[in-house]
Amino acid sequence: MPFEELNHTADYLFRCTGSTIEELFASASMAMFSLMFDERDEGPVKIEISLEAADYETLLYDLLSELLFISEVERIVFTGIDIKIKDHALKAVAAGENFDMDKHAGGTEIKGVSRYETNIIKTGGKFQADIIFDV
Amino acid sequence: MIDKLEKISDTEWEIKRGYVDNMSVPGRIFLSEKLCASLEEGALKQLANVATLPGIVKYSLGMPDIHWGYGFPIGGVGAFDTENGIISPGGVGFDINCGVRLISTPLKKEDFTGTKRLINTLFSTVPTGVGNVAPKTFSDSELEDIMREGASWAVKEGYGMPGDLVSCEENGMMKEADTEHVSAKARKRGKPQCGTLGSGNHFLEIQYAAEILDEDAAKTFGIEKDQVCFMIHCGSRGLGHQVCTDHIGDIENATKKYGINIPDRQLACAPVNSPEGEAYFGAMAASANYAWANRQMITHMVREVIGRDFGVDYNEMKLIYDVTHNVAKFETHVVDGKRMELCVHRKGATRAFGPGSPELPDYLRDAGQPVIIPGSMGTSSYLLKGTQTAMEKTFGSTCHGAGRLASRSSAKKSHSGSDIRQELMDKGIFVRATSNKVIAEEAPDVYKPSSEVVDIVHRAGLSMKVARLEPMGVIKG
Repeated sequence: MPFEELNHTADYLFRCTGSTIEELFASASMAMFSLMFDERDEGPVKIEISLEAADYETLLYDLLSELLFISEVERIVFTGIDIKIKDHALKAVAAGENFDMDKHAGGTEIKGVSRYETNIIKTGGKFQADIIFDV
Repeated sequence: MIDKLEKISDTEWEIKRGYVDNMSVPGRIFLSEKLCASLEEGALKQLANVATLPGIVKYSLGMPDIHWGYGFPIGGVGAFDTENGIISPGGVGFDINCGVRLISTPLKKEDFTGTKRLINTLFSTVPTGVGNVAPKTFSDSELEDIMREGASWAVKEGYGMPGDLVSCEENGMMKEADTEHVSAKARKRGKPQCGTLGSGNHFLEIQYAAEILDEDAAKTFGIEKDQVCFMIHCGSRGLGHQVCTDHIGDIENATKKYGINIPDRQLACAPVNSPEGEAYFGAMAASANYAWANRQMITHMVREVIGRDFGVDYNEMKLIYDVTHNVAKFETHVVDGKRMELCVHRKGATRAFGPGSPELPDYLRDAGQPVIIPGSMGTSSYLLKGTQTAMEKTFGSTCHGAGRLASRSSAKKSHSGSDIRQELMDKGIFVRATSNKVIAEEAPDVYKPSSEVVDIVHRAGLSMKVARLEPMGVIKG
């Protein structure tokens, strides 16, 4: 699994990994999507995202925060993401389906992505980051 | 964890400077010996981290519902000198002005047989859960007014009574709101959500006053034994979440710019008087106002339903009080005999101002401020009153709730939502939620018992019990 849930008392903590920085970012995005909605099917929606930041941690935080924003205001349930990163500049295409009250009610509302101890490290040849989602 | 703390009294414990590097003051936690056993190392470290921030005064404080969060611990209070101190979004959290209000009705428990019907009607009336929107999407100018005027905007628009405002902390409006620093993104999220409950631990509950513990204060606050009440717990919704998200980035840059060393990126902070600190505070206050308008709109919906279905006059449903438990505010406190202007952060902590506080309206001057402490789903909630002891020891602060003991994921593994719903039903408590998952996550036994947490603040004198409220019906998002 590219992400696993660790124990956190109040919120949700995920350990995300990837062989490349792009894979790590995709794992973190998928961890967040899995937390938001249980029922997710691939759909016709495609959203392009471009971001730049001074460091990878900020870039990851900005990506996840942007996905949360788009999910809420565009009413999209995301199911997948394709990411390219070069020199701390990111281009992504996130895919999903339109939110349907009957199907998706009971989802988990994420209030924000914490920066608490979110350090991207390299361990065992893989990139790894622990991320807390405030719910 | 108890070995890392020095016992000051039966309810007060100190974390010495040096627990983490660069602490400029010690930490103080209000806990019983029994609840010390459940104190997490992560929470202790976060409390100690707060003590390293510039300008912190006296102590980094932990209330008895303290637990591991991010940045500040949940149940954390930190007061910073406005001359040389900081303000930090991590000391408020994403849900700015998450808070609780309690409204009385003239109905008595023994005459009230319609809980299930009422909960079902409210569940279909009050927008609840992810993706649900308010009956009305507000215009740009309406949102601007909401952010500037808070609950008073809602009352002016007919969503309440003028008397509601005097019973809100800050009269339901922080006058320092500066909407210029609220982004277009935050506004976009805010427009369809004013008048929605949200999800997670937010709730709308029908309760009754099971026990009156302080007759005089109860009379002042307007609550009697067996009186049916309703409690609303929610905050500033996506608008507040976005304000926090937006400003953490700017504040992080300011942390570097002003050469402030922080032990955790979530504790990013800026001097109170810096442009970045002022921008965050102005946007935070605008979000707090949005949250007060949000709770006021929900109150209106509930009053209309109860008025229509139970023949109660709208004006007979009085707001007992409304408190915020995620906020930063400028307050004057006496520290070592000297009056100081402080920026008090309460993250999962409630203001509990004592008798005589000039911030309180005349009718509360002798009794002190009403403090509302919600229990976990299906357990007791409490109405308390603020004290002089709180003014002296905790910058006028107390706990905010029961405080979690176990994670949401372990709760889901060990509990079935439908079983809990049935168990509560057997006790006469009817629960409606958008999913069984949220019922399992919020199972009563994954929280510290609210009665134990409240006992500690009562024994420590931080706030004194006035009434115990028991649930009859609950709506969860």
